[in-house]
Amino acid sequence: MKRIICIGNPYIIQDSGGSKVYERLKQNILPDGIELIHGGLAGLGLLKFIEDADRVIFIDQVCGFSDAKEVILINASEIASMSEDRYGHSSGLPYLLKTLPYICEGKIPDIFVVGIQNALSVQAIDEAAFLALKILTQETCDKDSIV
Amino acid sequence: MSEKKLVNIPFNRVEGDLEIRVEMDGGVVSDAWCSGTMYRGFEKILIGRGALDGLVITPRICGICSTAHLTAAALALDMVAGINPPPDATRIRNIVLMTEHIQSDIRHAFLMFAPDFLNTIHKDCVLYDEAGYRYEPFKGKTSVEVIKETKNVLEIIAIIGGQWPHSSYMVPGGIVSVPSVSDLMQCQLILRKYRQWYERKILGCTIERWESIKNAADLQTWLEESKEHWKSDLGFFIRFARAVGLDKIGRGHGSFIAYGYPGSKEIEQSQSIPSAGFATIKEKYIFDQSKIAEEVDYSWFQDYKDGKHPFEGETHPYASGKEGKKYSWGKAPRYDGFPVETGPMAEMIINQSPLFTDIMTRNGPSAFLREMARLVRPTILIPIMEKYLEETVGDGKFYIAPESIIEGRGFGLTQAGRGCLGHWVEITNGSISHYQIITPTAWNASPRDSKGIRGPIEEALTGTEVKDIENPVELGHIIRSFDPCLVCTVHAVKKGQTSEPFRWRLTL
Repeated sequence: MKRIICIGNPYIIQDSGGSKVYERLKQNILPDGIELIHGGLAGLGLLKFIEDADRVIFIDQVCGFSDAKEVILINASEIASMSEDRYGHSSGLPYLLKTLPYICEGKIPDIFVVGIQNALSVQAIDEAAFLALKILTQETCDKDSIV
Repeated sequence: MSEKKLVNIPFNRVEGDLEIRVEMDGGVVSDAWCSGTMYRGFEKILIGRGALDGLVITPRICGICSTAHLTAAALALDMVAGINPPPDATRIRNIVLMTEHIQSDIRHAFLMFAPDFLNTIHKDCVLYDEAGYRYEPFKGKTSVEVIKETKNVLEIIAIIGGQWPHSSYMVPGGIVSVPSVSDLMQCQLILRKYRQWYERKILGCTIERWESIKNAADLQTWLEESKEHWKSDLGFFIRFARAVGLDKIGRGHGSFIAYGYPGSKEIEQSQSIPSAGFATIKEKYIFDQSKIAEEVDYSWFQDYKDGKHPFEGETHPYASGKEGKKYSWGKAPRYDGFPVETGPMAEMIINQSPLFTDIMTRNGPSAFLREMARLVRPTILIPIMEKYLEETVGDGKFYIAPESIIEGRGFGLTQAGRGCLGHWVEITNGSISHYQIITPTAWNASPRDSKGIRGPIEEALTGTEVKDIENPVELGHIIRSFDPCLVCTVHAVKKGQTSEPFRWRLTL
């Protein structure tokens, strides 16, 4: 199973990128073996959706990664390195990815984060959706071969 | 001669948008100010929206207690519609609500509170190394187990509510997802497994054995009775907390409030559930929601005279003027004019737990007692959940259709993980014309009121001896014992900001 997990808050524009891509992807019939999930603000609650997957793409609103691009591909390890040291009420994706090696029941899947930043143009939403599908449908998925 | 000194403590290490300022006098906190630093504004967001929109929007206030917000929103609309949901609907609502609590209690205790045991200020404690073995973030034996087990129990919410967090399956009149017998049996199985783990790992004994402890002497007997008790995480917590003096700090006002869990005649006939009340250390009083009021003398809102009941409440942000006096985006909720704390310890006192009443009467409130109450709250909730699951028959009576909700007022009061949560709503011409929310942390992290009386956390900090003001872990223990929750909702990852996610508003 491969999953696209869109995260964020649809009611706050600064955090709505993941939700917009979710709505965009929902309009299409996805290839077999790919599941689309709106992860909201679940944080650790998303663990279940990682543990039984072979490949996972998170789509989330980010900021500060690149001045030029609206859509960027980020390694899970880079997001994990941004985690706070311990769990808190605000723990989100960075904490989930950092703690994963210690708590994952089963093999850790290949994980990437498609980040959307700056203005949420229609083009950026489409690009993020396309990139996520591209990663999930190709044979290998090292970052360099994708980008 | 001692010298008073004002110290700003960056407690956003504890909770995102909470700032604490303390006045130190000779190594002792002589005064404290608790400030919520961001404006929430949900009350404004909801105005003009459809009558039912609170069921979808308010669970997004918090990613941890979204079920509690959904419960409060649904209860308020039940009242507007004049409907009592069928008993099985109330049971199902409570099962989900309590599931949220029994996972939150354990996550808080071992992923948020216990890691402070590893602070270097405790390095001379003989239990220090063992605390590291158990609670080191990401690696500690207990830390890892807690994440795994609490993940599993949340499946109960997913089975019934479709998802967690932010489910919206409760509606005025009941619930919209009717669980099958198979669903209910699956929930029983998940709960049974969680109970077995909780008894083995956390308590070191059965829930029934724990319930037989009636006073402080019984507790000591229990602790020394077997190595399972001594080495359980509860046993270790008690030993460590006493060794570093958590039972001597964090007293507070000694006044408490609880809303209890939603009930009905039918389900209360078969069992008792934690009830509402107001209490001091010595007395318990009948709860009356009309005695709730919010004051803004020290809050960044436009002034109004005295306190206002939430049905009359105003939320007009006003951050200019009276600089130096106003210091928080949180209002000051008061019950009958009193600052009151809420949370598991308050529930224990209001529901007259013999053990907690005995310790409270002897030693008063403390950070230790507050956190121990959270650790053992599942001993009360799990048996109730088991009973509900047995009683729920899955016969399809989970919903009574209301007439259109056009006009009216209602309130929904419930326990959230951190204590009392209330929603007050008024519907006019089918739209929300008024909405006020008072969260548990609004009670606990309240600023001063019109009389200048401190909020509960401020009061609990005052008088605390701090060994090293550069490392004021004593204050951290006290604040965490309230489990303040001031921020959720937005977690946009921001590069270059390694310790905290980007935030936009608080849940005061």
